[in-house]
Amino acid sequence: MGKFLRLLAFLWLAGTGAAEARLFEAEEFFLDNGLRVVVIPNHKAPIVQQMVWYNVGSVDEAPGKGGVAHLLEHLMFRGTEEVKDGEFNRLITENGGSMNAFTSRDVTVYHEFMDVSRLELAMFLEADRMSGLKITPETFEKERDIVFQERMQVVENNPTAYFSEVMQRNLWQEHPYARPITGTPEEILQLSQKDAEDFYGRYYAPNNAILILSGDITTAEAKDLAEKYFGGAERKETGKRIEFPEFKGFRSSKTLMKMPQINVSRMVRYYVVPSYAQDKNQALALTVLAKYLGDGDTSQLYRRLVEDEKSAVSVAAGYDLASRSYAVFVLSALTDHPEVFEKDLDEALREAIAAFDAEALQKAKKQMLAGIIYLKDNPADAAEIAGSLLSGGMSLEDVKNYDKAIEAVSLTDVRKAAAQLLNGGYVQGFLLPEDKD
Amino acid sequence: MRRRSYYKKSNAGRIIILLLIAAAVTFGTWYRGLFNSGFDADYLVENSRLKRAGFETNVEELVSRKGIKAYYMEERTNPIISVYFLFQKAGASFDQRGKEGLAHVTAALMTEGAGDLDSREFKEILEDKAISISFAADDDDVSGSLLTLKENQKEAFELLRTVLTEPRFDSKKTELVKQQMLAVLERQKEYPDSVLEQLWRQEIFGAHPYGRNSLGRAEDIVRINRDVLQRRVRESLTKDRLIVGIAGDISKQEALKMLDRVFGALPEKGKKTANEDAKAHFDGREKVIPRDLAQDIAIFAAEGTARNNPDFYPLYIANQIFGGQGLTSRLSLAAREDEALTYGIYSYLSLKDDAALIRGGFSATPDKFARVKEIVGREWQRMAEEGVSDEEVEAAKKYLTASYNLRFASIANISAILAAMQREKLGIDFLQKRNSYVEAVTTEQVNEAAKKYFGAGQPVWVSLGK
Repeated sequence: MGKFLRLLAFLWLAGTGAAEARLFEAEEFFLDNGLRVVVIPNHKAPIVQQMVWYNVGSVDEAPGKGGVAHLLEHLMFRGTEEVKDGEFNRLITENGGSMNAFTSRDVTVYHEFMDVSRLELAMFLEADRMSGLKITPETFEKERDIVFQERMQVVENNPTAYFSEVMQRNLWQEHPYARPITGTPEEILQLSQKDAEDFYGRYYAPNNAILILSGDITTAEAKDLAEKYFGGAERKETGKRIEFPEFKGFRSSKTLMKMPQINVSRMVRYYVVPSYAQDKNQALALTVLAKYLGDGDTSQLYRRLVEDEKSAVSVAAGYDLASRSYAVFVLSALTDHPEVFEKDLDEALREAIAAFDAEALQKAKKQMLAGIIYLKDNPADAAEIAGSLLSGGMSLEDVKNYDKAIEAVSLTDVRKAAAQLLNGGYVQGFLLPEDKD
Repeated sequence: MRRRSYYKKSNAGRIIILLLIAAAVTFGTWYRGLFNSGFDADYLVENSRLKRAGFETNVEELVSRKGIKAYYMEERTNPIISVYFLFQKAGASFDQRGKEGLAHVTAALMTEGAGDLDSREFKEILEDKAISISFAADDDDVSGSLLTLKENQKEAFELLRTVLTEPRFDSKKTELVKQQMLAVLERQKEYPDSVLEQLWRQEIFGAHPYGRNSLGRAEDIVRINRDVLQRRVRESLTKDRLIVGIAGDISKQEALKMLDRVFGALPEKGKKTANEDAKAHFDGREKVIPRDLAQDIAIFAAEGTARNNPDFYPLYIANQIFGGQGLTSRLSLAAREDEALTYGIYSYLSLKDDAALIRGGFSATPDKFARVKEIVGREWQRMAEEGVSDEEVEAAKKYLTASYNLRFASIANISAILAAMQREKLGIDFLQKRNSYVEAVTTEQVNEAAKKYFGAGQPVWVSLGK
């Protein structure tokens, strides 16, 4: 779950000045049943990362059925008509694979990292569970209880995760992104086997998925094997994905939460902004802006607020352009001076944006692209980045030409995006220690 | 998926050949399928179209003119270079009394300016050229890594040389990093996992430096200054402690030159440091620290074995069966897959210089916690008394050998392996031989190890909860 949001950090690494540099070589094709297949050859070692990205996430759940996408993700490891419960895990593990899956608001993703000689087995198993899932009352109840334990471990036992959920609700308001990906504990316990089966039946189909094969494989080999294993999965009409409401009359708010466990004050501020799917130019401009403002120790906000004014212990800006609906521009900080930090931040933000000029633009772009070649190194990372961007509305050509798109961002683009940011509403929260009296 | 359908072809041109192959494959699958679950995984693997027999991982030992040694692997898939280095016995357990936290603060400050470059100038160059230089400390070592594009290698190596030999420790940056470390210490107390980790260290290691918080003590951190930092660098970042791994798009000549240039000016020897064995006592005691939590958390541990001990591979396999990788270990199958009591339960061999442990843990809601603990106790006993089966050993060995190539996914990982091979004295041919070491282990050996280590007594438990 958390992995997904980390992805775009890679893109802000740094990278090669070489003009021919591209994110990575990749090709795509479609099977007759609609499965989109993306191949990212990397012949460094005889290993392949297989990922299946279903274009359905927690946001597509019906009201009251919170958590069903994630619970289904778990049930996908629990057996099919062909492969009985426990066998999937046993076979992948015995064959040296590392496997996992994650559910985000927008997508549900399954992956296996295998020696290339074991890839066909992993392909068989992924294809098999694309249409042959078999849930029994027994496996359903067990996985529901495991998912409940997961929620207790990851959210309820973590004070900052609780704060984040509150902030997401404040931010997204009537938008379905407001709901927690795992569902609430009450929702999880109320889900039924039929809920999971319905969700599976509605959304899991080859024509609603992307298969990514990244590693020691050629496109020709991938074509044959994808056809062999996934070609038999039947295309079907999938359920309508959710239609996102337009944000009208966004309500800004400021939250102040105190918790006894907390020792260090945190601040977050979220702006709802367009995603790449909604506005390419603005999304690219916001990516550059986030880099300039708050990516790393050389960024404007860090220099000013952490190094010069000592108003914060750390500060960062972030923006993930991949989203089916709106995206978020985030400012976050740890501070010992929560009472004055907001004012300091506002000032620093205004001045940094006012100071943004052609030189700053060139510098930000150069740093963003200098290390882009590193993304070709690890086939598992490459698959994850490609999947995230494709699911977020980029075409494969867009992904491959990401560097050129960044280079093309103009001063006007960034200034415009920044002005919109400053003039728009936001949701802000402080998480503070409890008063010590 | 139905077996019939995945050979369905719309492409008439290839249909005959494919039908022939399909018939063969389908027959084989069918035949075996009568006895198995319906498809045959082994058959798919044995008849895999993709395989690479000749994957070579050639490691060479380099010795530079100044006598600096390194393991080196040429890897030219991408024009990038990774250098991983570590200084043995320079880590947090060697922080003297009154200077606890020095290893971590030093590591954090190494990349805050060097030579003529202040922190800003230094970081600007790193970002402009996509050079990454980072340092970290653990209980035993201080390690560092460099990642650079081939085209920037000269500059990258020069920066690393400056960092190692002329770190600045400017007072402004020192104060800032100290503040940041104090905030990390405070945040540790906010999360039940990290609270338990510290309590566990105290309980297991007691007065040994492993029993301390490796990040240090606030009252010591605030007193760290440039003199102390420089002395630490001089005394512990020395050639006699140095181990280097080099991987990527770099020739042997370039690598040799780099070794002299970057590491050649380090002091030959530093202050001798050694700690005693941690002498943890594993007598089955249980310590519960009361907390009101959504989930109670536990760590359990017992005596393990060192990396170079002959028991290592047998015990490694025993642990894989008990609580190792994947969701198919005995602990995972019993507590998670069967009874759905926890999201995750695991065990691993923890290898520190002064303590080798079998260590595990889990978390579960208070109503399920006691049952999981009971399962751990039961499975522990079973390892000691009944041991493991041939099938389990085969499955574990299959996992360990078949997963082997995954470690070559990134060149940063490769250079780290090259350093680890030297640190643990695994031999220059380790990458060629490692799978044969695993394969040579017999069920009998695994059971001897299980009896010896799991049978030595009950694990010590430290938990947070009710």
